[in-house]
Amino acid sequence: MEFELDEEQQLLRRSVRETVTKVRGRPEKQQWETYLRLGWLEAPPLELALILEELGYAADPTPFLATATWFAPLTGRLPEGSGTAVFDGIGRYVLDADRADEVALLTHRGVTVVPGAELAAERVPVLDPHLHAAHVDADGLVAAVPDLALLGLAATCVGACRRVLDLVLDHVKQRVQFGRPLGSFQAVKHKAADMHVAIERARALTHFSALTIAEDDPRRADAAHMAKAAAGECQRLVFRHGLQLSGAMGFTWENELQYHLKRAQACDLLLGTASVHRKALLA
Amino acid sequence: MKLADDPEVEEFRAQFAAFLDAHLPEEAEARERAGSSAHVPAWARRWQRTLFDAGWLLPGQPPEYGGRNAGLPQQLAHLEELARRRIYHSFNPQGLGIIAASLLTFGTEEQKRRWAVPILRAEITAALGMSEPEAGSDLAALRTRAVADGDGFVVNGQKIWTSGAHDADVLLTFVRTDPEAPKHKGISALLIPTGTEGVVRRPFGSIAAEDDLDFNEVFLTDVRVPRENLVGPLGEGWRVANGSLGHERTLLWLSYAERLEDLLLDAADAGAGQEWYATLRMDLTALRLLGYRQLGPDRDPAEISVLKLLGSEAVQSASLHVLEAHGAEGLEHPGRTGPYHHMHHEHFISSWFERYARSFAGTIAGGTSEIQRNIIAERILGLPR
Ligand SMILES: Cc1cc2nc3c(=O)[nH]c(=O)nc-3n(C[C@H](O)[C@H](O)[C@H](O)COP(=O)(O)OP(=O)(O)OC[C@H]3O[C@@H](n4cnc5c(N)ncnc54)[C@H](O)[C@@H]3O)c2cc1C
Repeated sequence: MEFELDEEQQLLRRSVRETVTKVRGRPEKQQWETYLRLGWLEAPPLELALILEELGYAADPTPFLATATWFAPLTGRLPEGSGTAVFDGIGRYVLDADRADEVALLTHRGVTVVPGAELAAERVPVLDPHLHAAHVDADGLVAAVPDLALLGLAATCVGACRRVLDLVLDHVKQRVQFGRPLGSFQAVKHKAADMHVAIERARALTHFSALTIAEDDPRRADAAHMAKAAAGECQRLVFRHGLQLSGAMGFTWENELQYHLKRAQACDLLLGTASVHRKALLA
Repeated sequence: MKLADDPEVEEFRAQFAAFLDAHLPEEAEARERAGSSAHVPAWARRWQRTLFDAGWLLPGQPPEYGGRNAGLPQQLAHLEELARRRIYHSFNPQGLGIIAASLLTFGTEEQKRRWAVPILRAEITAALGMSEPEAGSDLAALRTRAVADGDGFVVNGQKIWTSGAHDADVLLTFVRTDPEAPKHKGISALLIPTGTEGVVRRPFGSIAAEDDLDFNEVFLTDVRVPRENLVGPLGEGWRVANGSLGHERTLLWLSYAERLEDLLLDAADAGAGQEWYATLRMDLTALRLLGYRQLGPDRDPAEISVLKLLGSEAVQSASLHVLEAHGAEGLEHPGRTGPYHHMHHEHFISSWFERYARSFAGTIAGGTSEIQRNIIAERILGLPR
């Protein structure tokens, strides 16, 4: 096998980052329309993983993740506007269910799609101000989580973790204590190195999951569990070291670190934590 | 990026597999075990020569050095095929992987003929004299002195941890030739035959057993070494040392992947339903993926530290989980923890305790985990020294 991003994929990653940086802070609707115009919703799995990593890096506020990796794999099509899906069998903490234009429901009768406006969905207050999660009231729900949905959360999580590490690196290179930059202290360096290794490990498994989905490889279910579990494990370490190394500054509302920490943590908690997916891998 | 195997690499792998099927020594022939990492039983010497002659010893090298000019993905397939069948690549791993390889890079034609080829053909064995009592992680602090004298050098000093030295015919020794120069500049590499007057080797036991003799102290007292044994230019020993370690490092991750793979197989019962077993699978998969990525062009050599750290630490925590899963039974030593394979005795006779204890070789030797973290933080993440 070959495990290097090819030139086109590297180009895509760069152009996604540029675009996302450019539209950041603009109204959410404008950001969403930009993504649609660039055809990101139609991207195949590996390209989609790269896009989601970048959107995770930017704590993207749009319903892109749910539309591309929850609605689309369940229905086999893209929604009119934004979409999400209920496939956990209980309808709890459904990403974007309170604001999606279309919601796909997996029930024992199969997949049905209802307009978001007609659905009884109640947004749950959560720590992350940009995250939309809602409880959905519907009958006959059954559980069957698409591999792509796990991959989507994993890729977003990896991006958020990378952002946390980058913010921490900037901080510890600049901030001086005891007459030295914090980053010259070895206790700091070793935490940063461990964060890097955890991110690389999770990213590799995310790309592997994307490849197995793209090629409908028999390992795809296992690979999706691995990606989700590795991203969760990575998040745990990156959250802990990332917040710790930022000092009190990371404890504030003003500092953007909080958005990325919360995004990473949410990606682990939604659709099963690392532990849940390690167990699934053993089944 | 793609999942599919490269047909050329698979063709290469199939050729090697066919060669192994046809030539692997019989079990009856391969009874004698190796006593140290420079002790190669007669049957294993014959086997290594067979590999050399057929160009299957170091496929990346040209035929005169036991290879067939194969590319990196092919070299990986070669090592994978050996691992899958649990066959040691060599019973003198430092000789083959580090010393002969450095001679092929830095040595003169005469040194290649006189030392590298005999090591590769298992006619002689070699040990690596880098570490000293006062120079471990800080290798450049080494003090063993070599003073130019007539047409050679006189060496005085001490090496330690020198794996297999008591069974080796020659030592690749790093010495200080210029005490005035900055510490990385005054080092040179010398080949010292162990039979030379003034070389005293004292093997000592490892954590696994008092009579598990691989470590050595090597005392060098007024040892005369001819000038022709200088490897690389005078004062360029640091470059040779880095090159020596660099050789093994590109594919070093594979040895950790092999160990993880073996653990996965040998501990399947103990791991049934255990979350650590899932982590072990994830570590193995991630290590292989990152290793394949490292085969690509223009990779930063510092990334090898990511592979070494991830691989050696994963082996260690997996070994601990397996040991703990066996509870008091894990105390039994020696024990049998792997399938018998006549080409690979280690697991057959290693207890779970021994496998865990030996995992520290991975996190200590060849640059400790702490040193790898320093490299990652400084060279990849750009943190200040
Ligand atoms: C099984 C085995 C086989 C070996 N075979 C050989 C051989 O054949 N030839 C040979 O020359 N050598 C050999 N070695 C020696 C090996 O290279 C050294 O053990 C290694 O370089 C570490 O040196 P040290 O043991 O002196 O530890 P030290 O350098 O004393 O380190 C002790 C501890 O301090 C930490 N430490 C050191 N410096 C730093 C730092 N800057 N920052 C943070 N932490 C630090 C280390 O990580 C380690 O945890 C072998 C070792 C083992 C375990």
